[in-house]
Amino acid sequence: MQVKAGGGPAADSECLMEPALEYHAPESLERAVAMLAEEPGAGALLGGGTDLVAALKCGLLRVRRLVSLRAVPAHREIARTADGGLRIGAFATLHAVAGAAAVRAACPALAEAAAQTASPALRNRATLGGNACIDTRCWYYNQSARWRAHRAPCLKAGGERCYANQGENRCVALFSADTPAALVACGARVTLRGPRGERTQPLENLYSGDGLTPLVKDPAEIVTGIELPAAPAGSGSAYEKWRERDSIEFPVVGAAAYLRLGPGGEVAEARIVLTGVGPGPLRLGGTEAALAGRAAPDEADREIADAVSRSLGVLYLAEAVPHKRRVAGVCVAAAVARAAAAARAARSAA
Amino acid sequence: MKQLIELKVNGQTHDVAARPTDILVDVLREALGLTGAKRGCGLGACGACTVLIDGRPVNSCLMLAVEAVGCEIVTIEGLRGASGLHPVQQAFIEAGAVQCGYCTPGMVLAAAALLEECPQPDEARIREALSGNVCRCTGYVKILDAVRGAASRAKDPA
Repeated sequence: MQVKAGGGPAADSECLMEPALEYHAPESLERAVAMLAEEPGAGALLGGGTDLVAALKCGLLRVRRLVSLRAVPAHREIARTADGGLRIGAFATLHAVAGAAAVRAACPALAEAAAQTASPALRNRATLGGNACIDTRCWYYNQSARWRAHRAPCLKAGGERCYANQGENRCVALFSADTPAALVACGARVTLRGPRGERTQPLENLYSGDGLTPLVKDPAEIVTGIELPAAPAGSGSAYEKWRERDSIEFPVVGAAAYLRLGPGGEVAEARIVLTGVGPGPLRLGGTEAALAGRAAPDEADREIADAVSRSLGVLYLAEAVPHKRRVAGVCVAAAVARAAAAARAARSAA
Repeated sequence: MKQLIELKVNGQTHDVAARPTDILVDVLREALGLTGAKRGCGLGACGACTVLIDGRPVNSCLMLAVEAVGCEIVTIEGLRGASGLHPVQQAFIEAGAVQCGYCTPGMVLAAAALLEECPQPDEARIREALSGNVCRCTGYVKILDAVRGAASRAKDPA
């Protein structure tokens, strides 16, 4: 588990895992789904475990049963699809995603986001599917039980008040994973297998916008794969991450940009997505619309940065809000400039 | 309830009685007496518990022991070869890259895994490979010296 992004370091590593927790390692996905469905909410899926085990240790997750994917061999491959897109098994590690030549070529933003997630040792265990489904985080929630014991539980911990957002009293825990921002910007679709079969939908629709329950899915549904469409000619993507130190940490802000350029070098299509600023990956529709039709910037554009900073709605955060707004703008402007450069290079190579 | 699991550690197979919730670092330290891997933050943020799982560094504080069944686990105790210390261990001694020593097993294993994969890493690659391992004593300078030294020793053994 990383320690920042609206979640300060836990003060101790006292392990609160329930000693009677059942552990199962079924050999098929179907069996894993069935085990999770037997008693909805009582089980948790164990993939790489880097976030789940930390949450269990801190007493943040009360489940009776762990269903491990250890013995399920499939859904780890990374391959180009027949139409030039990319299919990534959800159980592929972030190390594998960051290092795959196919990912670096087809979706640089994803390779950059995966390479900047957590630390090398965590990336050797953490999976892409797990990163897409990671829980939202908050300074008042991602703490050891001892730290949290000093006040009544917050909304996310089953209590009645939010300490981060005392005005409206709704959970504002932040979604802080890096790879989903890049994936949403590049038009990823996600495949889930559940008790009622398999479904594939835009990844963007997986996120509820609610800090308490950030995912729109049945608890027994398992993310099995991510698919990216073929990158059209003259398109490019980039991911920019700002964090308090250049390793381990979740982002204060992460920004992914996807641009497709028209014949005259103007922006024909833009998708800009932030992470670390809301309960899910946040698409900046206003910025996307403002970029469309404009000449793609050669370098990080101050106007874009300022417009993004101004456009961000109310933020309830432990980090200073004006600072976070400013960083978001700077990250978007830098990501847009690098995506534009990649798009121009792709067009001249075509 | 405890059950017997088979762990392969440093080339030896051990039958260990473990609960499903037992964490790998605790089983290594308490059941097998391999105290090289340290308990640090317990949350994957310091790297003191680093061990190699199938050749790759992993935080053993975030891995259930039962998840390591079927894997090749290497701890600092198993890194030295028949002919003596691993070159990275030797380089840490020669560079004076150890102060309190708490981070050292994790640092050495992360560096050894790096040099196994990339025998001649550039500076950025070395820093990246050690970026999940925190040292509060050395300031990292001597540690980086040691890894560079191990790499150049491998290139030019004289």
